[in-house]
Amino acid sequence: MLFYSYFKTLVGKEVTVELKNDLAITGTLHSVDQYLNVKLNNVKVVNEAKYPHMMSVRNCFIRGSVVRYVQLPPGSVDIEILHDATRREARG
Amino acid sequence: MAADLQEAGLASLVDTTISVITNDGRNIVGILRGYDQATNLILDECHERVYSSKSGVDQVVLGGLHVVRGDNIAVVGELDDDLDQQLNLSQIRAAPLKAVQH
Amino acid sequence: MLPLLLLKTAQKHPVLVELKNGETYNGHMVQCDSWMNVHLREVICTSKDGDRFWRIPETYIRGNTIKYLRVPDEVIDKVKEETYKRDEKRPNVFNRGRGMRGRGGGRGEGRGQMDGGGRGEGGRGSGGRGNRGRGQHQQL
Repeated sequence: MLFYSYFKTLVGKEVTVELKNDLAITGTLHSVDQYLNVKLNNVKVVNEAKYPHMMSVRNCFIRGSVVRYVQLPPGSVDIEILHDATRREARG
Repeated sequence: MAADLQEAGLASLVDTTISVITNDGRNIVGILRGYDQATNLILDECHERVYSSKSGVDQVVLGGLHVVRGDNIAVVGELDDDLDQQLNLSQIRAAPLKAVQH
Repeated sequence: MLPLLLLKTAQKHPVLVELKNGETYNGHMVQCDSWMNVHLREVICTSKDGDRFWRIPETYIRGNTIKYLRVPDEVIDKVKEETYKRDEKRPNVFNRGRGMRGRGGGRGEGRGQMDGGGRGEGGRGSGGRGNRGRGQHQQL
């Protein structure tokens, strides 16, 4: 559940989600669930000229299984906390 | 809290028009009638928007009720009616989306 | 409304199934289960490109190979009817211990969502909210 918890701390931040079909969507992280499905608000597709397929979509739900990368806002990672949490997770 | 948890799922989209991008790169527009934990969807009054780099977007009526399997779904978008009406689909040129490669 | 409930209700109706490999199967649904495995009779199978056809008396399709199914429009009304009837028969069952109030119309749907959601809330509540502040440590 580490990444679930981690993503929850990013709610409200702007992220870019790159999908396994090469589509990249930027938006405000609205919520995340246990499967790492995410909901983004005020989305904008990166390279909209090439990918106009979501021009009438403002908010969307992205299935966790199709996410390749999530680009995070700079400075959104508190390394200390993450280290700590990772160790705790490893210990079980 | 109750409001909070509802927000994570698709509950707020039930009975609204959504635009679904499937793993095989299709774009299906329809009314969401139901869903489950696996993101299986019930879609009503479906049509497919077929993109092409040579001609405008073709709307193909699929009609009726569809159950789309969750593992075939990439994105579920809330279709904004105002934004959608501003679109001139016949002017849009774009290659179809690629299929998801796991 | 749950997709699998819709499929259950589509039993004995004609359905179309498209597989992930692009083949489609048209036939009467005999049965389906909670993995979306479906059993069809009197089937016409169409190849991916749509130019070859086979008639098959009976086929069983594993759920995870399915892309989507198409069911007749009237099935959704049948689901609503049956949900309503069932709730009329045992009006109190679902009110007990669930903190649900009221009855009637949209209850079938409401229940489904509450069900899924309720669990989610529990999980989230324990780890999430209470612990913020000193919280983030704990939470992670």
